[in-house]
Amino acid sequence: MMQVAARPLVVDGLIKTYPGGVRAVRGISFEVADGEIFGLLGPNGAGKTTTLGVLTTLVRPSGGRALVAGHDVIREPLAVRRAMGVVFQDSVLDNDFSGLANMRLHARLWRVPEDRIAALLDAVGLAGRARDSVRTYSGGMKRRLEIARALLGRPRILLLDEPTLGLDPIVRSELWEMIRALQAAQSVTVLVSTHYLEEAQGVCDRVAIIDRGQIIALDTPSHLVGDLGEHMLDLGVGADPEPVLAVLRDAPPGLGEPMRTVSMVSVPSSLPAPELTDLAGQLALTAAGVTTISIRPATLNDVFLHLTSAARARAEVPA
Amino acid sequence: MTAGFTALYRRRLSVSLSQPAALAAQILTPVLWVLVVGPALSRAFGGFAHGVNYTSYVSLGQIVFVLPFSAMFAGLTTMFDRDWGIMRELLVAPIRRAVIPLASTAVVLTVAAGQFAIIVGLALARGEHFATTPGRLLTAVLAAALLSAGVYGLAEFLVFTITKPQAFGTLITALGATPYVLCGAIYPIAVLPAGIRWLTWVLPWTHTVSLLRYGLMGDTASGLHQIWPDDLPWTGAALLSLAVVAAFAALTQTAAHRAFTRSTLR
Repeated sequence: MMQVAARPLVVDGLIKTYPGGVRAVRGISFEVADGEIFGLLGPNGAGKTTTLGVLTTLVRPSGGRALVAGHDVIREPLAVRRAMGVVFQDSVLDNDFSGLANMRLHARLWRVPEDRIAALLDAVGLAGRARDSVRTYSGGMKRRLEIARALLGRPRILLLDEPTLGLDPIVRSELWEMIRALQAAQSVTVLVSTHYLEEAQGVCDRVAIIDRGQIIALDTPSHLVGDLGEHMLDLGVGADPEPVLAVLRDAPPGLGEPMRTVSMVSVPSSLPAPELTDLAGQLALTAAGVTTISIRPATLNDVFLHLTSAARARAEVPA
Repeated sequence: MTAGFTALYRRRLSVSLSQPAALAAQILTPVLWVLVVGPALSRAFGGFAHGVNYTSYVSLGQIVFVLPFSAMFAGLTTMFDRDWGIMRELLVAPIRRAVIPLASTAVVLTVAAGQFAIIVGLALARGEHFATTPGRLLTAVLAAALLSAGVYGLAEFLVFTITKPQAFGTLITALGATPYVLCGAIYPIAVLPAGIRWLTWVLPWTHTVSLLRYGLMGDTASGLHQIWPDDLPWTGAALLSLAVVAAFAALTQTAAHRAFTRSTLR
């Protein structure tokens, strides 16, 4: 069993099987340290929202346990909810009321003074629209209001479920910057779930990558990327990638396991970019049908593709 | 507990009062009945029972139209909160979740009290006379409150059982209008065919309207002896009817609580 200290978040062997037998979470464990921004990453349906549902006491776990600020989610749900602020995947606001009224309701429910409302609305750039109906807010403004609201009760943990979903790239980028700044200013621990892995790479201190209800990697983004290889060699291929894969199998050391997508073969490499360029030049790639060659830094997306393709390949091997 | 209840009550009351058009529309029908249709029918038929004023009779009948309809409509607010509104924010608040439907029921009762006062006030303003005592007035008010709470319990049970808003919209009309037509709100149930009369006896609406008339118009107008045996004393019949409405409220509120818990904790 894992060591259970008074950490902001401890998830230990968590299992959730929904009625009907859908196994959404299959025994995941992780801990989040004070002041950390921890990312729960994975594709849609991986089990991220279910995990957050357990932590917010909206989903009853089938097994394992989860502690929030040292409180058990089943035995002490009120203490758990008092310790956290939550921003849901889709907007959860009183649309007929103003931003200010939404903040005030939160203050009353969490029994905290209303004197921080103005400062928080200012911090998220909504001071000038505080008295306007939320119905007139853009998607990004609604999300900023929800983040300000979640911080109003001075939570020890801020849970963000897909906070940038449905927002345009500029707003997404601004929102991540704001989350980082607020986290530092409010000294709050953040658990964020997202399927935008590359966005999380620049924000999260550590990440857990979830696939089909299980954690398949847990580390800092730089370690995960470093373990894969600092660079990716992307090869554009035609309908049949087999000749390219054959060339890569006979290649000199320095290339990792190739990953195939629809029209691309990507190869991780820990070689510096100039050496990788030379190596690529020595291979008979064009003769094998390669149409484009590019070298770029590896990302968490590549880590995820690498880990999931390896896991699926293992699952497909007959016993 | 109290802080959470107060915050939720204030918020839900604001939601209800922020739709003046809906409130006005719900009041318009009884206003028409109390001020126009009731008196017109009374003049046309010259009254229908010895010593019973039809305008007063039909005025109180409107209470079992307006209050249940309003309670059913309140279910729409709950459905909206659940599907597109603030319900999940409330569910992760550090309050006992049972307080959420409790505060909503309290707002339904507040609105019902206002509607009750408007209907009776309009009737009085038109010159009707109600004969009552504190005990009888309490019986009438309690009956109206229990019916409202019961119908809201039914609405909330349906909200957390039915997933489609369209289906719920259809049920508002069915559950709001049908019992009103059958329960003796505008005519005594004694004139109904015997095969249908037994159906009216099990409707909480029938018991409520009888209790309203028992409380505000007296024994004869109540119609309680059209429900219970003639040899039963009036007070006994009233208590039995009150028990029926209370049982209805308890049953639907319990069912609503269970459906709410099942729906909000997966």
